[in-house]
Amino acid sequence: MDVVVCIKRVPDTADVVEIDASGNDIETDGLAFKINDWDEYALEAAVQLTEKQGGSIIAITVGPKEWDDVLRRALAIGADRAIRIDQDMVTADCYAVAKVLEALIRNLSYDLVLFGAQSEDFGSAQLGVMVAELLGIPHASLVVSLQVDQTTARIKRELEAGTLEAYAVELPALLTIQTGINQPRYISMAGIKRAMSKELQVISLSDLDLTQETLSPTVMLEKLELPPKDKKAELISGSPEESAEQLARILQNSGIF
Amino acid sequence: MAEILVVAEHRQQKLADITLQMLSKGSQLADQSGAELLAVVIGKNVDIYAQELARWADRVIIFKKDELEGSLAEPSQMMLSSIIKQRRPKLVLIGHSSFGMDLAPSLAIELGVPVITDCIDVTIVSDNITVTRSIYNGKLNAVYTFVPSETVIVTGRVGEFEVKERNLRGQIEEIDYTMQENIEYKKFEGYIEQKIGIVDITQADIVVSIGRGIKEKENIEIAQELAELLGGVVACSRPIVDYGWLPSEYQVGLSGKTVTPKLYLALGISGAFQHVVGLKGSNMVIAINKDPRAPIFNIADYGVVDDIYKVVPALIQKIRELKD
Repeated sequence: MDVVVCIKRVPDTADVVEIDASGNDIETDGLAFKINDWDEYALEAAVQLTEKQGGSIIAITVGPKEWDDVLRRALAIGADRAIRIDQDMVTADCYAVAKVLEALIRNLSYDLVLFGAQSEDFGSAQLGVMVAELLGIPHASLVVSLQVDQTTARIKRELEAGTLEAYAVELPALLTIQTGINQPRYISMAGIKRAMSKELQVISLSDLDLTQETLSPTVMLEKLELPPKDKKAELISGSPEESAEQLARILQNSGIF
Repeated sequence: MAEILVVAEHRQQKLADITLQMLSKGSQLADQSGAELLAVVIGKNVDIYAQELARWADRVIIFKKDELEGSLAEPSQMMLSSIIKQRRPKLVLIGHSSFGMDLAPSLAIELGVPVITDCIDVTIVSDNITVTRSIYNGKLNAVYTFVPSETVIVTGRVGEFEVKERNLRGQIEEIDYTMQENIEYKKFEGYIEQKIGIVDITQADIVVSIGRGIKEKENIEIAQELAELLGGVVACSRPIVDYGWLPSEYQVGLSGKTVTPKLYLALGISGAFQHVVGLKGSNMVIAINKDPRAPIFNIADYGVVDDIYKVVPALIQKIRELKD
């Protein structure tokens, strides 16, 4: 069972995110970066599969040098090797990124390609499905349960309001993984040590026979802006005790108790 | 005449709410830009939806096929690409639902047209389509346009577009289409409904809901204590279920329950839209969160920017005092 897992580095959205001077990117100074939450679940799913059934895991990403840290993390979690396509495509449109990933994955050996269902930053939840269509393989998004045999992935995908639907998907296939499918493991010291000796390959667009020009965008980011506050909470300030007192009075006056 | 096409979604004999939202937005855009609204519905016994769709759409296209079950992303893609190639609508609207996420990106690739997903607004001004997306977990909005294309695909965020009733009597047309491909590679094996839990959070008047900010499983107890004191129930956002700290029937949001209590008290919940969509009908929302920029404060009535472990025990104390 050979698995390719596509991962992304994102800013920690618990931090304050500010718009930079250009107006269409964010201020990255002082932001903490991390592996995309969904991608950790995808990696864990891959590791659980190969632990049971053998095979190897390749983690791949598209980004500049700093993105090596998420690949190292993937190697520590259990990926066997990692490939970074050296191109900054953070603000590029998904279609261009999908073409780049497809150009690489097409030449790898795989039974399954896994993506996180969405990213924490832009969250468009479309990259994996685009790559599947470009590769010409079946896909299913929002997968919350996964069992694989030699030829078939038996999956459950999440619908709305607590309902799931089950499918049998022929391999090779591409799945996008929803959080909660597993409990991602803590990374051990041994895992970190092993990761240091694993291969992290860096390739360029030209290695994939791609040029900037073949990746012309289909959509344009015009500007970033702060969301309008349709209704802003009345903020209660003071010490925790003072806030608690005011809240308690609000609850009492509203007849909650 | 230019057309705007809405892809109707349905499950288990009901049109999805998102479809009514997309039809409402679509008909408004069609009016503004002098286009006709076209609704397309695909699946088993879909003629039952025709009349309802025709209240919004100038034209309803029905494709009935009894073998079609499940979310139908693949057969929908085949059908839609054929219809879109033929009619060239300028805009295709699909819900950013589980169905839309499986369908829209691959449909766009097959047709070679641009797509922007999960939009919270769509406008057409002198034929130019502009969309707004909410990014970085609700902290920023991004405004996008498309490179010139005869057709573009937009998926709309669930719950962002108001349903406005219309009373058209659109023309209903049933079409015949032979599937070129038998979809052997992805077989539907059935729906799995959530099991009914002991507590029904949808019936509660007071919901004390916890999110990632609760940090430790043990801290659920103070939320429980507060809920009991107020005669309410504990609920949660997705991470709490993902961590295995509470069963899924306690989850509020898109993939969980929709609640409409008198009071929704959000403890350590950032307010991702997937969660907020499930609590919009609450009478009063109070949020306690350390992060002053958390989107939950945009929808709450009252907010406290502080640590929940400091405020909640003090709140329990004060309520006890006032009750005596």
